[in-house]
Amino acid sequence: MSETTEKTMSARDYKSDLKPIWCPGCGNFGFLNALYLTFQELQLQPENTAVVSGIGCSSRLPGYVKTYAFNGVHGRVLPFASGVKMSRPETTVIAVGGDGDGFSIGAGHIGHAARKNINITYVVLDNNIYGLTKGQASPTTPLGVKTKTTYYGNMGMQFNPVRMLIAYKASFVARTFSGDPKHIRKVLVEAIRHNGFSFVEVLSPCVTFRGKDQFKIIRDKVRYLDEQHHADNELEAFDVANDEKELALGVIYKKPRPTYDEIINADVTTKAKAVSHGKPKVNKLMDQFKP
Amino acid sequence: MLNNKNIVIGIAGSGGDGVISAGEILVNAASSEGLFVFMLKSFGAQIRGGESSVRVRMSDLPVQSQGDRIDIMVVLSWSNFNRFKNELLLEEKVIIISDADDPMSDKDVPLSEEQRQYWYKIPFNKLSEEQTGGRQSKNIVMLGAISELFSLPKQALRKSIEKIFRNKPPEVTESNIKAMEAGTAYVQEHVEKTDPLAFEYESREARLVMQGNEAIAMGAIYAGLDFYAGYPITPSTEIMEWISRYLPQRDGISMQMEDELASINAILGASFAGKKAMTATSGPGISLMNEGIGLASMAELPVVIVNVQRGGPSTGLPTKTEQADLMQAIWGSHGDSPRVVIAPCDVEDCFDSTVLAFYISEKYQMPVIILSDQFIGHRKESINPKAIRGGKTGFRKIYHRDIPTDAELQDYHRFRNTENGVSPMSYPGIKGGEYLGSGIEHDEKGNPRSDAGNHARMTEKRWRKMDYIKKEFRFERFYGPRESKLGIIAWGSTKGAVKEAVNKANAMGIPVSALIPQLIYPFLIEPFKEFIQNKNRVIIPELSYAGQFRRYLRGFVRFAQYGVRVIPLRKTGVAPFAVEEILEKIIEEWKDMEARR
Ligand SMILES: Cc1ncc(C[n+]2csc(CCOP(=O)(O)OP(=O)(O)O)c2C)c(N)n1
Ligand code: SF4
Repeated sequence: MSETTEKTMSARDYKSDLKPIWCPGCGNFGFLNALYLTFQELQLQPENTAVVSGIGCSSRLPGYVKTYAFNGVHGRVLPFASGVKMSRPETTVIAVGGDGDGFSIGAGHIGHAARKNINITYVVLDNNIYGLTKGQASPTTPLGVKTKTTYYGNMGMQFNPVRMLIAYKASFVARTFSGDPKHIRKVLVEAIRHNGFSFVEVLSPCVTFRGKDQFKIIRDKVRYLDEQHHADNELEAFDVANDEKELALGVIYKKPRPTYDEIINADVTTKAKAVSHGKPKVNKLMDQFKP
Repeated sequence: MLNNKNIVIGIAGSGGDGVISAGEILVNAASSEGLFVFMLKSFGAQIRGGESSVRVRMSDLPVQSQGDRIDIMVVLSWSNFNRFKNELLLEEKVIIISDADDPMSDKDVPLSEEQRQYWYKIPFNKLSEEQTGGRQSKNIVMLGAISELFSLPKQALRKSIEKIFRNKPPEVTESNIKAMEAGTAYVQEHVEKTDPLAFEYESREARLVMQGNEAIAMGAIYAGLDFYAGYPITPSTEIMEWISRYLPQRDGISMQMEDELASINAILGASFAGKKAMTATSGPGISLMNEGIGLASMAELPVVIVNVQRGGPSTGLPTKTEQADLMQAIWGSHGDSPRVVIAPCDVEDCFDSTVLAFYISEKYQMPVIILSDQFIGHRKESINPKAIRGGKTGFRKIYHRDIPTDAELQDYHRFRNTENGVSPMSYPGIKGGEYLGSGIEHDEKGNPRSDAGNHARMTEKRWRKMDYIKKEFRFERFYGPRESKLGIIAWGSTKGAVKEAVNKANAMGIPVSALIPQLIYPFLIEPFKEFIQNKNRVIIPELSYAGQFRRYLRGFVRFAQYGVRVIPLRKTGVAPFAVEEILEKIIEEWKDMEARR
């Protein structure tokens, strides 16, 4: 992360020339605006920031920020982000995607990015539906909901991302709501500042395929965590995560530990160099193939 | 036929017999004398223990293949030999060395009358017990015995034994040297040599011994690899094992990922971040990577992907070779997605090809696939000690990716439609170079666009790079008299048997020549045109039942127009081509051509 004061950046400076293709009223707008403000608050330098994504409505987001940006293939945002971060540790890397991108096709990657504690921020804009493909069931679509591919009602249980991320030993797990951009900004600032893998679930309604009343339904269902909550206590965090009737917003779990690149720098490289006594020439490495 | 300058030794036994280490000691000894060496290993299905065999060919003259038949067969236990009967074809006048106390009775031993002519029985186990108190040095006793019997380089063997035990306490080395000496003494005192074989060679500068997979790992490190991500899969895993050990010493990063989808996307991320990145895989893994390879074409990200082919489809034959991923390498992944395919044809070439792969991918900003196979990847071969300074292709250039100039950064177009299609590429850290990279079709700035005109323009831009690659590179190998009417076109690991068969045929007075393209794709027509101009027939041997290579060539080369008849010689994988198989086909076709004259 780089926070410098060389030129004061305003939120507008992070806006690209592209106009979002999202439907009017889409929850993603609230998040995008909060993201610009977060960048402003952190004074991130565009050249040292990368926003990367998979595929989906939500994954269009990198096109709307004036930083390094990448819109890859469906479900693979975390490996891509890991490659960027490990190659340029000084870059602030933000991975963005939808619930389908992250919890369905890309689900196999989350546990590993979390377990390795890759120092990136992963934002899932969770709208409980597949938006881009126009309204099919996603892993977070509630049981019984009729979608275009679950004509008689969704047969699968709704999936609880926050619970999964705590179980996966993510070192930072938070939930926020695109109806409350101020809260997003507060959570995001903390997530980006967190040294390690940070996961942020954004409840971000798809007004087109889940209905305009989603904002109200969610607003009625959420509560804000306060100082009473001990985010460093795993059991407490699980209790909060397990409550699916009332969705808690805020930092639910947070327990820093060494990041992947810290382990590489402190451990792997040291051990490797101790064996090789500095950076060996290729000629020298070839010596071992002498008979 | 026995040839004193060029011998093939087979060794078979159970897992605990030390078959592989005996083979390695032989290989190291011969290479330290500057001989040409080739070693293949074979295992039973068990992960550990179980039976194993090696085949070591050593020669005073350059050798290209594993050798068709075994001249000297060392059997540490007959029950295990049976398992490899079909892989270890014996010469009619083979020399057999077996344990004097083997429980199998002579009549049950699977040898013909002829093959029993030269059969020495040596009490490996007993001698080992006498010298070391255990049976574990029987393989070393055996080495002492055969070095005496066939005049193998004894001093070099002794040094190799010392080297293999160098990390053990000195007593271990001492007792093994004693075991070797006991084997030698036993032969001197108790064995009357009746066979005519005595190895003849001249000592030269020592050669290096490498596996194809090791050569790829080292080539990548030489080329400046920064970032590796991979997922273990036979027979490619050694590449990652070497890289995970040596890349960190050179300030690079090696990450083991959760699967191949993650591997390919992680290296794409590293490439986006301005680093030289590579992954290696095989079989099912390369199938999973295809979507990512298309992303590399579209987002114009330089990456190197190694496919060490194994038998397929599906899980197929993980430890066996085949050449049936050719079409997938060229056309795999959806859409018109340009990529380069290079096929190394031996171990030394693995190093060269990897250096070249990085050069092309970094210069032309696209995926480059190195199409190796299990036969090259896993075999040990002695290579030119100066290989590092430039092998046969001599290609040792390193390319540093074009980055935008200050002027270009004023109004940066990441995908600027330049003359050769290559657009300077920025990466995080470069101010003013921020852009959107994507797998979605985009314009020169990187903005998503789906109109026909833009798609046509950008597709053409990405493919134009292929034309420039064809202009810049031409590399193929050529053997035999150019004017011959009979020709062979082959690729990859089939080169070895083809080259040897061509040499043999030429020596027999049969004019035949061979062309081995190494830049497989983009397709450069010139070498083929030149080659087939005066040909009447061209044999195309390949380890692909579907005949992928022949079909591929036919898409570009108008054989009929040149009056050339194409003779397919295709078989499924597992066993690589034997020289005999190709030679027989050459003779058959040549006789037929002569008869029709
Ligand atoms: C390999 C692959 N399979 C399927 C698709 C089609 N597809 C594109 S986006 C998407 C789901 C989008 O849902 P989500 O990730 O929740 O994002 P949203 O559009 O709701 O923001 C699917 C199935 C694809 N692009 N790639
Ligand atoms: S389909 Fe839904 S998620 Fe996609 S842009 Fe429209 S409202 Fe947003």
